[in-house]
Parts: sequence; structure tokens; C-alpha cells
Amino acid sequence: MSPSTTAAIINDLGALLLFTMLLILAAGQVYRAIYAVAAQSLFIAIAGAVLALATHNADLWLIAAITLVVKAMVLPWVLHRVLQRLNVRREVEPVVPIAVTLVLAVAVVVMAFHLSGSLGAVQQAITGNALPVGIAITLLGVLVMATRKKALTQMVGLFASENGIFFVAIAATQGMPLIIEIGVILDVILAALVMAILVLRVRSTVAADVADLSRLRG
Amino acid sequence: MTVGLGMMAGCYGVGALGALLAPLSGRLALRVGHLAGLGGAVAGIGVALSVLGGAPGMVLRQPLPDLFPFARMSLAVDGLSAFFLLVVSLVAVAATIYGPAYLQAHAPDAGATRAGVQVVSLNLFLGGMALLCCAGDALTFLLAWEGMTLASYVLVVSEDEDGTNAQAGLLYMVMAHGGTALLFVAFLTLTERAGAFDFDALRAAAAGLDPAGRNTLFFLVLLGFGTKAGVVPLHVWLPRAHPAAPSHVSALMSGVMLKVAIYGLLRFAFDLLAPVAAPLPVGWGWTVLVAGTVSAVLGVLYALQQHDLKRLLAFHSVENIGIILMGAGLAMILWRREAGGGVLATVALTAALLHTVNHAAFKGLLFLAAGSVLCRTHVRNMEELGGLARRMPWTAGLFLLGAVAISALPPLNGFVSEWLTFQALLGAASRSHGPAGLGIVFAAAMLALTGGLAAACFVKAFGVTFLGRPRSAHAEHAREAPVSMILGMVWLGALCVFLGVAPGYAMRFLDRPTASLLHGPGASAVVTAHGPLVLATGLTGAGTEATTISMTAISVLLVVLIALAWLLRRGLGHAPRRCAPTWTCGMSPSARFDYTATAFAKPLRMVFAALYRPRRSVIVESAGTPYVVRRIRYAGEVVDLAETQIYRRVEVGVTRLAQSIRRRSSGRIHVYIGFVLGTLFVALLFFGVRR
Repeated sequence: MSPSTTAAIINDLGALLLFTMLLILAAGQVYRAIYAVAAQSLFIAIAGAVLALATHNADLWLIAAITLVVKAMVLPWVLHRVLQRLNVRREVEPVVPIAVTLVLAVAVVVMAFHLSGSLGAVQQAITGNALPVGIAITLLGVLVMATRKKALTQMVGLFASENGIFFVAIAATQGMPLIIEIGVILDVILAALVMAILVLRVRSTVAADVADLSRLRG
Repeated sequence: MTVGLGMMAGCYGVGALGALLAPLSGRLALRVGHLAGLGGAVAGIGVALSVLGGAPGMVLRQPLPDLFPFARMSLAVDGLSAFFLLVVSLVAVAATIYGPAYLQAHAPDAGATRAGVQVVSLNLFLGGMALLCCAGDALTFLLAWEGMTLASYVLVVSEDEDGTNAQAGLLYMVMAHGGTALLFVAFLTLTERAGAFDFDALRAAAAGLDPAGRNTLFFLVLLGFGTKAGVVPLHVWLPRAHPAAPSHVSALMSGVMLKVAIYGLLRFAFDLLAPVAAPLPVGWGWTVLVAGTVSAVLGVLYALQQHDLKRLLAFHSVENIGIILMGAGLAMILWRREAGGGVLATVALTAALLHTVNHAAFKGLLFLAAGSVLCRTHVRNMEELGGLARRMPWTAGLFLLGAVAISALPPLNGFVSEWLTFQALLGAASRSHGPAGLGIVFAAAMLALTGGLAAACFVKAFGVTFLGRPRSAHAEHAREAPVSMILGMVWLGALCVFLGVAPGYAMRFLDRPTASLLHGPGASAVVTAHGPLVLATGLTGAGTEATTISMTAISVLLVVLIALAWLLRRGLGHAPRRCAPTWTCGMSPSARFDYTATAFAKPLRMVFAALYRPRRSVIVESAGTPYVVRRIRYAGEVVDLAETQIYRRVEVGVTRLAQSIRRRSSGRIHVYIGFVLGTLFVALLFFGVRR
């Protein structure tokens, strides 16, 4: 595959990633956000595969496979299961209206592209527009965490944020050392498990959600 | 001699492992641990003396195993290192001889676990200090520094009966790490510039610093080491933590650990940070001189009002660190790199270094003697002591020796170094004009005041503790301390006498550090220019002729005079002697009639009332009529200005800030995440776009 083709594909995938991110932000119901983040992970796996094809880096194949299995299948499945077990209202329950969130998101994306323009030297080493897209997705993930009441949506935000970092990592360095990638993925799995268990336990014992934690204030 | 270094480290390591014997027998662990520590100390003395007596410019180098991939660690023992290693090891010898018997006598049923902990931390403490002095790179230095701090913290809290020691330990921990943080900043700034950790590279990197950076680094380092050294107003932890440790550890902390901070300061000021081909910045020396003067005067003033024997000694450490810093600061002011150093700077630095070893000897001795009293009476408040001279004659005699030495009276060692400090101060004052000369004269006057007050303080400490009659059952039933404890004290007492009577012979060991720091003549070339029996300051000119003194002659004269007086009294006076109770207006005399420490310090409490802000309450319980008094209760205290004026205010401010944050914080996670996001956003916008 020629470098220009690779760059074009990565650029297109970046656009798709941003689009899925906006879907997550705009999702009115929790399961939609979960599907969106699963799709986002799928695109990242594809990006990894494309880069592996272009750079003949065997590690990237492995990483792409792990991403596909863990992030695009297992984690969404865990989230979905938790959602079903909770058996509560499926609405997202935003802290600020979704429209306002979207406006904020636009500001973040603009800033990310603006910022990466001033990082010219770094951008040289990066495939296409991966850097601004990665930064934007990372920050937007945090934005999701900040503006949603439910613990589940916050988990979705965390995964999206993690996806952003991952995308920058594979696109910028053509793959970090394998051990680091696997470590990061393990972290995410652990975080997902702990949070899932926590959410279920808290819900089953005291019937509270993250928003109610403010009552714990000292 | 690298063998010696290995032996030293090995002994301390074996000593630490001696704790493994604790499950078998606590007593055995104590013995083995302290014995190995003694071996380490003796090896340390050997290494130090061989370097100090070796050829000028000789540096003992020993690479260490690579513990970290990013830095090479090594030991490099030059003159200055060896001198401080010597100080550490001299006191360590006494402490390790003294230790096991003390720990057993003080708390016979303490249990094996405590013995094990104390053995491990004592050896790590000693090893940390020795390693710190020998460190050849920043990483070794910082690791040893941290090890020393942590080990001493464990020792401070190792004998906690009612939680006060834990509090003292916490304060110590916080202050020590605050200081360490500043040191880290200074070291890492240099290592980042140098790209390496060893001192040679740091020196080269510091040569390229601009004056502002150099000054910033120096004051960071001064604050960092000043915290450890207990410079006013950073001293508040010291009078709490030092008395809390077991007494031989108090001796080490006061006598040696503070000196290690002085080592760091000298290393930075004269070696690592010193500008190439230029005198040290003027502000450095003056800051150190002023800090030293303030510490000396305030330290002794607060010591005067303490009635806890060990706490009193701890405050005296603040005073003596002040005196050392006066010498060091003066040396910094006077030092001119290009003019061959200058004789006066050599005298000042010699005074500082000599006082370092002197203070280690007599303060170690005093803490050990106080420990003997403590382990036999279990009382630290001297109001409840008294009359111990008859019951503990060796301890009393050795405490008196230490008291005479610390009060800077001839013929003991405290006098020698304070005399040299005076000579340097007065010589510098007569050579400088205007405000500088006036300031130095003022410092000399303050040093004189300090010496007088210290003498008053030790008249109180010795008189109230050892003379008169016992004021409590504890004191009445005291017995002399075990032989090994007395041996430990005798070692330090002998050092005090040797350094007092024949200091000229010790001057040779100051040659290497003074010559290498000041690039000028060594100590003995100046101070013992007329032979080892005469101390001179090498000063000539108007008003400074009377600057030679012979301690040996003074001692001989003193001995002869005392012998004469004794003979005269035996030969002439056969006046009849009669033993009778003191006339007490018809009442039966009791121990309560004796001078108490509070009463003794009263005149000074009144003179310096502005400083002490004394508070007292007198409650009179009468039996119906005011004429029949049943009981009078008196309670008085003085405040430490640094505590009330600085630390209390900081505490109030921090609490207020924390309260206001608490009121504003909603407890909602979304808001917190939002804060994080917002901060990140703004930071990215600001720093990203600025480029």
C-alpha cells in the first residue's frame, strides 16, 4: 500500500471516529452510546490493521486483533449486560442539555485542530490528521464524563477517551511497544470490570448513582 | 583504602541484619547490632584518617553497583567528606558502645520486636550518614539523605508511650521532607543541566549558571539544609524530635545529623555552586552569618527556659549550629578565590569545622549523660531530680565536663573553637569598614552573649540536676549507670579534653578540607604556624597582636594552680570542720528549699520578657482564711516566637483556606471532571497557541 493511500485511509477513518464520537455525545439513550463506542473501537481496529499492512509491523496486527476483540466486542457486551441488569430508565440524563454539550464539542474540536496546527514538527511524523482527531476524541470523552449523570455513560466516556489516546499512539508512532499496548488494554479491562461491579453493587445495596455521591461530602 | 569503605558498609549492613536475631533474643540482637555498628564506626574512622592524613588532592573513589539504569553511582571521599565522616564515626563509636546497655536499662521489658527495629534503624541511620558524607554523586547523596531521615524517624517514634513521640515524629517527618523537597529541586536542576549525576559534572554545569539562577539554587539549598540543621526559624521540630529518641540516638541526631546538613551546605556553597574565578556572592555569606547569629542567640535563650533536660540540650544544638554557621558565613564573606583564599577566611572556616567536631563531642557526651540520668530515674524534668552527683558520680563528672566544654570555658574544646570564631570575627571587623564592620562586631557581641548565657544555662542544668538534694523518690533511688554506658561517655569526654588541651595536634586533620574548599593555605599552616602547642590566627597589624594562645600552657597553668591551692589548703588550713543543717529560720529544711530551675531562670525571663512572653498562673488554695495557705500551685510557660508568630499563623491560614475550599466544593463528580477538562482545555490553548 502506498503511503499516500494509507494517509488517505487513516484520514477517512479519523473522520469516522469523530463522527462516532459525536454520536456518543448526541445519544439520548444509553444503549446508543454503547453501540457508538463499539463502532468507534471497530474503526480503531481497522486503522490498526491498515497501518500494519502499510508498515509490515507484525505487532500492529496483534494489537488490532486485541482491540477488535476486547474493545469492540467484550467491553460493549459488558456495558450492555450491566445496563440490562440495572433495569432502570434507559435515558442518558445529561447534566447540561445535549445541545449545549454539542456546542462545547464543536469548540473542543476546533481547538484541537487549531492546536495541532501549531505543532507542525510533530504533525510531520504523524499519519494524516490523526493528532487533532485523537486530541479531540480524548477531550470529548472527558466531556462526556463531565456532562452525564449515570455511571454507565461515564464509563462510555472513559472508553472513548481511551480510544482517542490509542488512536494517536498507533498513528503517531506506528505502534508502541507491544507490551505497553497490552498493558493499556489490560488497564481498560480492569477499569471496566471494577466499575461494572461497583455500579451493580452500589445500585443493589443503596440504590444510588454517581450523581448521589455528593451526599458524601465532608 | 577502598577496603575500609567496604568494611564500613559491610559492618553497618551486618548490624542491620543483626535484627534477624531478635526473635531468638532481643538482648542478643541489641548486642550484635551495636557491635557491628561499632565495627562500622571504627572502619569509618580509619578511612577518614587515611584520607585526611594522605597526600593533598587525594580522592578515594569507589564505584557502586548500578542500581538504576539512568545514573551511575559512586563514592568519592575527598578532604571535606573525610572530615565529616570522621565526625560521624567518632560519635557513632560512643553511641554504639553506650546503646545496648542503655536500651536494656531504660526499658528492660521492651520486647524483642522493638529491639530488632531499633537495631535495624540505628545501623541504617549510621550507614546513611556515613554514605552521605562519602557520596560522589547526587543520587547517592539523596538516597543516603532520605535513608538517614527515615531511619531517624523510626528511632524517634520507637519509644512511644503516650503518643507525644508520634506527634514529634510527624512534625519531624513533615519538616524534613519539606527540606528534602527543596534539595531535590536544587539537585535536579543541576543534574538536568549536567545530564549526569556525579558531582564533577554538577560542578561543571553550575559554572554555566547565570547569577540569578545561582542565587536561587543557593537559597533553596540553604533552606533545605537549614531545615535539617535546625536554623531558626526552621528549628521547631528539633526540640521535640531530638529528646523523643533513645538517648544515644539523640546524641547522634544532635551531635552528628545536624552536621551532615552543614556538610551539604559547605559542599554546595564552596564547591558545587561556587562561581569560577569570582568571590562568592556577597548575599550568601551575610545571610548565613545573620541566620547563624539569630540561631545562636535565640537557641540559647530558649534553652535557658527549658526544664526538660534533653529538650534543653536540643535547644543548645540550635545555638551551636548557629555558632558553626557564623564561622561558615564569615568564611564565605571573606573568601576571595583569586587572592589565594585569604588567611582570615581560613581561620573562620577552621573555627567552623573545629566547632563542628567539638560540638559533636560535647553534645554527644551531654546527651549520653542525660540518658544515664533518664534510664536510672525515668524522669526528664530536672525539677524532679537533684542530688544525683553523690549517687551517680561518674555521670555527674562527665556531664560537668561536657557542660564546661559547651560553655566555652578553658581548658576544654568548646573554648578553642569559639575563641577562633571570635578571632575571625574581630579580625574581619577590624579590616572592614562601614556597616559591614559594624555588623560583624555586632555578631561578635552576640557570640559573647551566647557564651555567657550558655554558661548560665549549664550552671542551672548541672546545679539543679546533680547538686542539692533529691526532689523526688526517683532521684533518691538512682544508681550509677552500667559500665559500658560510662565507657561510651568517657570516650567522648576524652575527645573533649584532647581537643581542648592539645588542639594543635588535631589541626592537621583540618588541612585537607580547608585547603580544598578555600584553595588557600591549610588550617595548620595558619593556626599552628608557631608549632602545635600554640594557636595563632596569622593576623598582624594594629590591634591584633594578641592573637596567639597556648591551650596546653593554659591547661598546665590551671592544673598547677589547682594543685597549689589544694596544697596550700592542706598545709595551712586546719580549721575545725563541723557538719550541721542549714539554718532555715526554725523550719525543718526540705529539698523544696533548693533552687529550682524555674527560679534560677527567672531573672533572665524578666530581662527578656519581650521575647519570651512568659505566662504564669498562681493558684492559692487557702483553708477558709487567707492567712492559712494550704497549697500554692504555680504553672508557667514561655512561648517560642517562631512557633506563635510564624507557624501558628500559617496553620490558621491553611485551615481557613481549607475550610473555604470545603464550603465551595459541591461533592459532585461531574463538576470535578469538568474542572479537570476546563483546566486541560485552557492549558492546551495557552501553551499550545503560544508556541
